[in-house]
Amino acid sequence: MAFKIALAGNPNCGKTTLFNALTGANQFVGNWPGVTVEKKEGKLKGHKDVIIMDLPGIYSLSPYTLEEVVARNYLIGERPDAILNIVDGTNIERNLYLSTQLIELGIPVIMAINMMDVLEKSGDKIHIDKLSKKLGCEVVSISALKGTGIKEAAEKAVKLAKNKATTPVVHKFDGRVEGILNSIEDKLGNSVPREQRRFFAIKLLERDDKIASQMGKVPDVLEEIKFIEEEMDDDTESIITNERYIYISSIIESCLTKKSKGKLTVSDKIDQIVTNRWLALPIFAVIMFLVYYVSVTTVGTWATDWANDGVFGDGWSLFGLEVPGVPVIIGAGLEAIGTADWLQGLILEGIIAGVGAVLGFVPQMLILFAFLALLEACGYMARVAFIMDRIFRKFGLSGKSFIPMLIGSGCGVPGVMASRTIESDRDRKMTIMTTTFIPCGAKLPIIALIAGALFDGAWWVAPSAYFVGIMAIICSGIILKKTKMFSGDPAPFVMELPAYHMPTVTNVLRSMWERGWSFVKKAGTIILLSTIVVWFTTYFGFVDGEFRMLEDIEMDHSILAAIGSVISWLFIPLGWGDWKSAVAAITGLVAKENVVGTFGVLYGFAEVAEDGSEIWGTLAGSMSMVAAYSFLVFNLLCAPCFAAMGAIKREMNNAKWFWFAIGYQTGLAYIVSLCVYQIGMLITTGTFGIGTIVAVLSIVGFLYLLVKPYKESKILQVDMTA
Amino acid sequence: MPLTMVKAGEPSVIKKVGGKEETKKFLESLGFVVGGIVTVVSEISGNMIVNIKESRVAINKEMANKILV
Repeated sequence: MAFKIALAGNPNCGKTTLFNALTGANQFVGNWPGVTVEKKEGKLKGHKDVIIMDLPGIYSLSPYTLEEVVARNYLIGERPDAILNIVDGTNIERNLYLSTQLIELGIPVIMAINMMDVLEKSGDKIHIDKLSKKLGCEVVSISALKGTGIKEAAEKAVKLAKNKATTPVVHKFDGRVEGILNSIEDKLGNSVPREQRRFFAIKLLERDDKIASQMGKVPDVLEEIKFIEEEMDDDTESIITNERYIYISSIIESCLTKKSKGKLTVSDKIDQIVTNRWLALPIFAVIMFLVYYVSVTTVGTWATDWANDGVFGDGWSLFGLEVPGVPVIIGAGLEAIGTADWLQGLILEGIIAGVGAVLGFVPQMLILFAFLALLEACGYMARVAFIMDRIFRKFGLSGKSFIPMLIGSGCGVPGVMASRTIESDRDRKMTIMTTTFIPCGAKLPIIALIAGALFDGAWWVAPSAYFVGIMAIICSGIILKKTKMFSGDPAPFVMELPAYHMPTVTNVLRSMWERGWSFVKKAGTIILLSTIVVWFTTYFGFVDGEFRMLEDIEMDHSILAAIGSVISWLFIPLGWGDWKSAVAAITGLVAKENVVGTFGVLYGFAEVAEDGSEIWGTLAGSMSMVAAYSFLVFNLLCAPCFAAMGAIKREMNNAKWFWFAIGYQTGLAYIVSLCVYQIGMLITTGTFGIGTIVAVLSIVGFLYLLVKPYKESKILQVDMTA
Repeated sequence: MPLTMVKAGEPSVIKKVGGKEETKKFLESLGFVVGGIVTVVSEISGNMIVNIKESRVAINKEMANKILV
């Protein structure tokens, strides 16, 4: 039989580091059912029958945050065989608050005091033996970062789990509270196992209504609550909280010898500079510029070019040695074994070109993820949220939304994935939905095409594209936060800032790899399938009544062209209702830069330059300036490429939310483009029709939504639809 | 007086934690309890970083106004 050990502790106490050290590569990462809280479990190294469960970081077992609800449902419902409670030794008082609650659960608890190395340096000393006696559970000291003591801690936890000896509750509260708890425990009687009675008694006393669903019989304890509240002049929950802290304060004196008392820690000193009123923004700007400069422009561009044009292109050179690209090698291989033309096309132009376009971003993403992991691990990320929060809060986003958006200007995929660092569910979903509004690198060729073909390369076209993106984010934020979906769950800005510390190379690399790999897996499944479908519909069609594979220049006979002509009427109000534009927009879903290539093919060029300069003349002849700008806006705002959609799906982790996001983006793109075209036509040519009326109505409705008063929901919703 | 009026670096004792029930409970679990000692580390337009029970916590202005010292 497998033993289950749960890792529990405060956020930032080194839990994840310990989990990684204990389980190594034997991990399974998923989500807790119904919520986007990450669930991690793994097998303990050297023990096939021991499963370690990494619970979300929590401060208490009250039911106020999603993480707390998830952790506590697991602990009460699944009852692991032992709890390994990690305690940050540099912040022991606050950490013990959770520990006193874990011990009450009636599950064997072993406590591991982490950050012993930091503690030794500061000269503070924790008396482990005394602490163990006062809390009634075994206590060991470890350093998760350095790996000292973790094996012993794990072995002890395993032993505890196998012995099934429960941890007796040693800590006592005020006599009056104890008396009331005793009488509630008596009322519970045999409906609850003896060792769990104290936990349930306390929860009932605290008026914790979520606990009732976990119990069979719920005794009425209103009388007890009334009595104690009058007696101690406070509400029961506060009484219990205070009693816990009083007990902790009473034992901490004898268990902790402090040398560094009253002095500012190194972290405090760094914070005084980094989060200083005047210096915070300049320092932030410099750091963000460096991250952007290295990962999006210089090294990032080089890596993407290498992957796209080298590995998935014609080839690249390794120290003067010519290495052919994947398509070249496979093409030659297929040629050699005499594969049929259509199969070669499918493999080379469909699968390798499509998936390659997506995988080509992997090196750049890895660089970005490494930076993100570094910023997270050293503790700066938490400060970013603090610095930017005031600005972003105004339109319903969190301070941390800045990072996904910055990265999104390079590539939307890592941008969307960077939203992982946002804890608040509402803020994260909002960020995921709006990040791809920022023009990414692949949208630049579309901008160049439209600017070159119709606006004579006017300087303002590109900046206006970014302006449209930023306005879309701000307006979406303001409007969406007034909707029902986003109005619940008030997220006041209270967050713990972890101490600054040097990240370890393994932790940074592991985090980088985890995020990168999950993307690669996506590329191998959904994206692969989508690209095959698009390829097939592009290269097959009826020519003179015969269904066959098409040459590049025969694309106007393809299935895609047929689909394009069927749906192109949809875009008539937007000013580009011809099937070619519709098809270009569809192929943009594979990769946005395809829009330019598709136009090239449809206008009779097998290959065009990146900005499509060959077709500028033809395009200018078939579209008006207003229609072209409407086309540009639509492509900037509508559903992103398959890769980014995959990232959105993964980060939302919910089909309904995914479709809502895609639908919202496309809907917004449609309305904005419609307004651009109709109002533009009204101004330039004086055309007035139904479309103009619809556009005016949309703008009025939009303005109404924008200025509509905002009401914060009074109820805190913790949605557990599991 | 509210925490927002405290100068950086001066330790002060918490007299009352106000605000919505959930927020209050969350603050309590982070260590903001009556009698606890809180020190302001830095402040940007009302948002503050404070030291409480050996940890640094960032809180916004609205929240800091509800903590009386």
